[in-house]
Amino acid sequence: MSVRCKSALLLGLALVVTAPPAALSHAAIMEAEVTQAIRLHAFYETGEPMSQAQVFIYAPDDPAQVWGQGIADMQGRYEFIPDAIAGRWSVQVRQAGHGVMAHLDIGADAPVMTISSTPDTWAQRALMVALVAWGALGTALFARSRKGKQDASA
Amino acid sequence: MHKIASLAAAFCIMAPALHADSLTLFASGEDLATAGFTAPKLTRDGWELEFSRILVNFDQITAWQSNPPFMADGPEISGDALVFSGPVIVDLIDADEDDRVELATMPAAPGHYNALSWALVPAASGEIEGYSLVLEGVARKEGQEVDFTLRSADAVMHACGEYLGDTRKGFVTEDSAGDLEMTFHLDHLFGRADKGAEDETNVAALGFDRFATGGVHDFSFGDLHVGHVGEGHCYVSSM
Repeated sequence: MSVRCKSALLLGLALVVTAPPAALSHAAIMEAEVTQAIRLHAFYETGEPMSQAQVFIYAPDDPAQVWGQGIADMQGRYEFIPDAIAGRWSVQVRQAGHGVMAHLDIGADAPVMTISSTPDTWAQRALMVALVAWGALGTALFARSRKGKQDASA
Repeated sequence: MHKIASLAAAFCIMAPALHADSLTLFASGEDLATAGFTAPKLTRDGWELEFSRILVNFDQITAWQSNPPFMADGPEISGDALVFSGPVIVDLIDADEDDRVELATMPAAPGHYNALSWALVPAASGEIEGYSLVLEGVARKEGQEVDFTLRSADAVMHACGEYLGDTRKGFVTEDSAGDLEMTFHLDHLFGRADKGAEDETNVAALGFDRFATGGVHDFSFGDLHVGHVGEGHCYVSSM
């Protein structure tokens, strides 16, 4: 290797080593995965939604303890992504002194749903909970690019 | 009261501390029983009710481990049954700080007791002989005050799903006891003024105006479903 080449190589190495940290810190990473989300829709037989009903979720590995909880939206809808635990997931939806329960058995096969408790028939309305398991894009999304090459991979 | 105590002894009521491998049954009329109907929670027709006693005659109480879970969509429950002998009369006013009255504790196999069946039946003897539910107390409205005794002789079977409430109930393990509750929603009987006249509960409720003369009145539940498991529902059928 000639002296000129060696000098050029050393200069290149020096440039890499001494590049400002900021030039190497704009690392954006994208990952994507298909996962399973549960969407529930709580409504009365009249079609009136259970707006802002309380939602309590129980996981198969600890069914006595609340795994997650929240408030349904104005349309009585609520979504959550269960942990990768096979078994029976249970959901309680409660409002105004009444409640309804639904179960979702998740395993190797397609999920099996057991829909909610029967209504108070005298009231001629029902508390219904429909559970839908659907594939959803994961939320771990980033983007990566390298300064200089302007190369983005996704 | 002595008769109620003796029936309680026959049910093997234990000390308040629950024992592992056991299931304890409670009954509750909630705060509408123990505190009564007070403003703003008056009856749908504006009465304040103060109860001195609410006597209920339970029978055929069975806790179930059902799989798949029973959804209170019919009269029959299938699964592993834990039978509590009866009948037993309970005063829903004689409650603890959580508005609950303890009925009985039984040794129980581990698992999740996620269904409960029970009957209200007329008592065969005793002070409420011939009646399944007796409510006694004082009613007040616009300066008027009347003593009342309301009695029902209805025989009603309840097939209830899982207890729904702030805590999920019915779990028995080798290390911990479980409990279940039969809950009476008295607002289904009398309605609630703070819920508005068009509320479904108020439309169907009896209210108190029909009893305003005071004294003794007999009534029927009709299509009213007073029995629940917490906020959970029961399939109700006449016996």
